[in-house]
Amino acid sequence: MNLPEASKIYENSIHILKKNQHENGGFYASPPGTRYPFIYPRDHSVDILGAIAAGMLYEAKKALEFVLNAQKPLGEFSQRYDVDGNDASYKDLQIDGNGLVLFALGKYFEATGASFFDEMADRAFIEKHWEKIEKAVQFILMNKNEEVDLIHTINSIHEYPAYEHGFEIYANCACCAGMIAAVKMGHAIGKDVSDWEVEAEKVRQSIMTRLYSPRRRSFIKCIRVKDRNSKPIGYDAFASTVIDVDVVEYAPAYFELVSDHDTKIRSTVKRIHENLWDHEIGGLNRYPEYWGRNNGGYGPWCHFTCQLANHYAETDNMDMAEMYLGWVVDMAHNHMLPEHISTIDRFELWLEDYTNAMILRDSKMTMIENVRSHTKWNDGLAYVTIPLIWPHAEYIRAYRNFINRFDNAYAFK
Amino acid sequence: MIRLKNILPKAFLIAIVEMVNIDGVEKTYRLLNSIGIELAEIEGPGFEGAWEDDINYLPICPFGSELIDFNNIYGETPHQFSKLMNYANKLKDESEDPWNFPALSSVLGILQHSYTRRRAELAQAKIYNVGSKSAINNIKVYNEQAIEKAGITQEYVDELLEHVFCVYKVEYNQKSNI
Repeated sequence: MNLPEASKIYENSIHILKKNQHENGGFYASPPGTRYPFIYPRDHSVDILGAIAAGMLYEAKKALEFVLNAQKPLGEFSQRYDVDGNDASYKDLQIDGNGLVLFALGKYFEATGASFFDEMADRAFIEKHWEKIEKAVQFILMNKNEEVDLIHTINSIHEYPAYEHGFEIYANCACCAGMIAAVKMGHAIGKDVSDWEVEAEKVRQSIMTRLYSPRRRSFIKCIRVKDRNSKPIGYDAFASTVIDVDVVEYAPAYFELVSDHDTKIRSTVKRIHENLWDHEIGGLNRYPEYWGRNNGGYGPWCHFTCQLANHYAETDNMDMAEMYLGWVVDMAHNHMLPEHISTIDRFELWLEDYTNAMILRDSKMTMIENVRSHTKWNDGLAYVTIPLIWPHAEYIRAYRNFINRFDNAYAFK
Repeated sequence: MIRLKNILPKAFLIAIVEMVNIDGVEKTYRLLNSIGIELAEIEGPGFEGAWEDDINYLPICPFGSELIDFNNIYGETPHQFSKLMNYANKLKDESEDPWNFPALSSVLGILQHSYTRRRAELAQAKIYNVGSKSAINNIKVYNEQAIEKAGITQEYVDELLEHVFCVYKVEYNQKSNI
């Protein structure tokens, strides 16, 4: 891997995080004037995790303050907000946002105390926002199905209900991890959170059994169920399973519900690599091409590639870690990372599909123009949404983890 | 097609018809308004839909599918709906602040407007429903006073309504710069 270049991308990623935090605390998904100038709790939470990894605790706290204050009356965190924290969503419930905000808050809390947790941890911040934490957990539990002990959602990380409506793995892992974080924070400030502890463990057990296929030796994407309260769910109109490989089947380890060394995770990652590593341009695709929702053309995503680079570093498979992270380094343009990368052929194929099907929205026209006018187009590549802030946060986490495995000039000491 | 599983939206529309018959348009109008406000307070401050600067719009009609379905079953738009919409438009015409009323293209616009308006108020903002389009027959409706108050032109609203169903101009009492 080109280490000097990797180091520059790390520095620039920190710069990008700082530059794209609004004075009110929200991290833009992409810079103002580009495709996503809103604050999406999902991206925002990962940006907080990136900020924490980079030691930017002031920025992380400001970002948490922003999102906690934007919580809706029932405890939900919306799909997206404007810079003043007003709900500006246009999609149905995305409950992983609740889990992610709690998970990021828990990570901030741990980081403030670090090795001197008892003396140093920012308990005042947790106490100040405890009511919001309670509401966030209650909202998650409001969406839990008692028959399977899993959380129901309509959209998840890909915002694609056709494959995510039901009990989806990323949303469930995020919510479970969020509840576990809330339990830890509750314990630290002397709250009785025993009920949450029981509920979180039920969800964790369900993820490990109902969302794992022993014969496939892989976690699965989703148990499709239309209505959260279908009783019994076997009679629900959507009742089926999504067993296709999806990069977020790694979520149980990403959210620390299970170790990266666990054989279930290792075999799941093996399946992900075998099916989603892009053999033409490298990098990790998010799901199979035939799912048919490939805005900007089918191709690999930087932030998912970073996530799996982290897995390989965690499991001491440094050749694979280097291959994954090295690909991200090679793909950076001016030390910036795009949402995803495609080829001209695939881009045009997607455009043809969507144009013929009459499903190309007006809002995609700017993206199309930007992709075609980007310098990389001349190299045969379609760079979609550059910079997207999220991959920079994931890159910070992956780069630090990777570098810390070595005792060299680039290691963080 | 009616199934018990999906009966509620249709039951709600029948309830509007029956309530107009039993209690009249005034009470029905008040009921729809108060349902919108109540739901807005549960949901909290904010807006749905897409943005173009300070214009907020809904690319799809939120009740379109249900209304079309209902019309197909019922055979035509119930005259009670028209009666209620006429009453709402009369209120607007007689009001001193007609720009605060919806550009009604369906009876559910009454509910939608009170919901959207209350959520905007909770976000310290004011909305003007400058235009909307019927999902049933694509007829465009404008609130001319709202258009004037919003400082935009009907041509602009018309252009937007080619692609969307409901257009609001949003004015924040105080708004941070992006």
